[in-house]
Amino acid sequence: MIELQNVTKRYPGNQEALSSLNLALERGEMVFLTGPSGAGKSTLLKLVAAIERPTHGQIFINQRNITHIPKHKVPNLRRYMGIVFQDHHLLYDRNVFENVSLPLQIAGYAQADIRRRVRAALDKVSLLNKEHSMPITLSGGEQQRVGIARAVVNKPAILLADEPTGNLDPQLSAEIMHLFSEFNQVGVTVLVASHDLSLISRMRKRIVRLRDGRSSEGGGPLA
Amino acid sequence: MVKTRQLKPLRKPNRTTRLKAHVRDHLRSLVFSLGKLCRQPFASTLTVLMIAVALALPASMLILLDNLRVVTHKWDDSGQITLFLDLHMPVEEIEKLRARLRGLEEIESVEFVSADQALEEFRELSELDYLIDGLESNPLPPTLTLTPFETARAPGILSRLRGEFSSYPGVEQIQFDMQWLQRLQGMAEIVQRAIMMIGILLGISVLLVVGNSIRLDIENRRDEIEVTKLIGATSRFIRRPFLYGGMWYGLLGGVLALVLVYTTLLVIEQPAQHLVTLYNSDFELIMPDAGQVLGLVATSIGLGILGAWMAVGRHIARIEPS
Repeated sequence: MIELQNVTKRYPGNQEALSSLNLALERGEMVFLTGPSGAGKSTLLKLVAAIERPTHGQIFINQRNITHIPKHKVPNLRRYMGIVFQDHHLLYDRNVFENVSLPLQIAGYAQADIRRRVRAALDKVSLLNKEHSMPITLSGGEQQRVGIARAVVNKPAILLADEPTGNLDPQLSAEIMHLFSEFNQVGVTVLVASHDLSLISRMRKRIVRLRDGRSSEGGGPLA
Repeated sequence: MVKTRQLKPLRKPNRTTRLKAHVRDHLRSLVFSLGKLCRQPFASTLTVLMIAVALALPASMLILLDNLRVVTHKWDDSGQITLFLDLHMPVEEIEKLRARLRGLEEIESVEFVSADQALEEFRELSELDYLIDGLESNPLPPTLTLTPFETARAPGILSRLRGEFSSYPGVEQIQFDMQWLQRLQGMAEIVQRAIMMIGILLGISVLLVVGNSIRLDIENRRDEIEVTKLIGATSRFIRRPFLYGGMWYGLLGGVLALVLVYTTLLVIEQPAQHLVTLYNSDFELIMPDAGQVLGLVATSIGLGILGAWMAVGRHIARIEPS
């Protein structure tokens, strides 16, 4: 579903964020990406979401080569995946419903479908009662769940998350991770970057460790 | 806390629902962008005022020029030649001259206005009774007004007539209406070109003013643009509210420009009428017609959208999620 072949990303100043990295995720797989900060976790996610382009190598999404995807095709690629950020990236001048409905508005769904889907997504993250609240009035955990609802509202095949539990306490973090594994159970391919090793070890999923832009696989619960 | 209910399958929007959503998004952008203008009343008012002033200036000048054209066009067919005679020219001499002029094949009619008649006429039109009464003698000369035949109004014939008339005894001064008109029309031509150039420059300034306002608007909403790009918004979707913003600036600026044009014309109307009466002509200020009104507003809207387009094209492409 997601495949990186020999991918190198070099930033100006010759600093290599990723070096000849190979990684493949099967359809319906859930993988944790971990490693110290600066190891290239965020860079990898950005390459998958076509936010940045690799210096070398090839990237495939659902067997389509997106390495040199033209700019006007990027929106369609992004509608194929949901992205969750550490700092939520919510629009603070709109309420929860409007935030979550944005991907559907953009994709041109009918108003009735939008209402139904947004409610379902908010129900999924247990925020149905906050539909009309403004994001600023919500707690950090709730805001993150709004971000997740927005990422899954159009039923993407791929879910990407960059440090989704970065600012949350351990209990909330565990809830968020379980939420991701539930989406994985209904067939969504999930790639989560997190440095919270103890948490992701308990999830019993495949773990990819990055260090200095190189990967080493360590499946299962490792210390 | 977390419920595990399977999400219902989501049908991809078909062509009709996509079209409906498209129309809906246009309407939403239309309303949303107007709302944005209203939420920053001070900045929006400044922008709209600048557009209005920049457009009202050349528009009202062009309309005044149109008026001048209409007035001079009325006089166009007169093409009269006026001979100012010596103040002390005896009546018999004048009669002789009149007869001689009537005999010319180029001249259709000759009209005599005596010095007394001229003074009377002046008194009626100028309302300067006290001044005229104070005069010791009549300073106005007797005049002969000649109307040449249509065929004799070519510049060559007129200049030959001028030479001929100046050799007549008692003729002090010759005035060709045509010549004066031609000069006026020549000047109008120059003024029109100058107004066009000023109009073009002011049009460019409207583009810059709108472009700058939209650019600031884009900067203020940078985060929002990044987020919408990340969740799959096309450039067109992101551009739309900004282009409608430019359209609103143009529409409001154009309407305000119209108000300014009408105000200018109303202020000018009375003195203009008075002036024209002095020239012994009837005159009614022509107001802009429907075509001109629509043209002004359409130009303004066009400039608004174009200015927004220029800003949007450059700045939205540069904002990429990081």
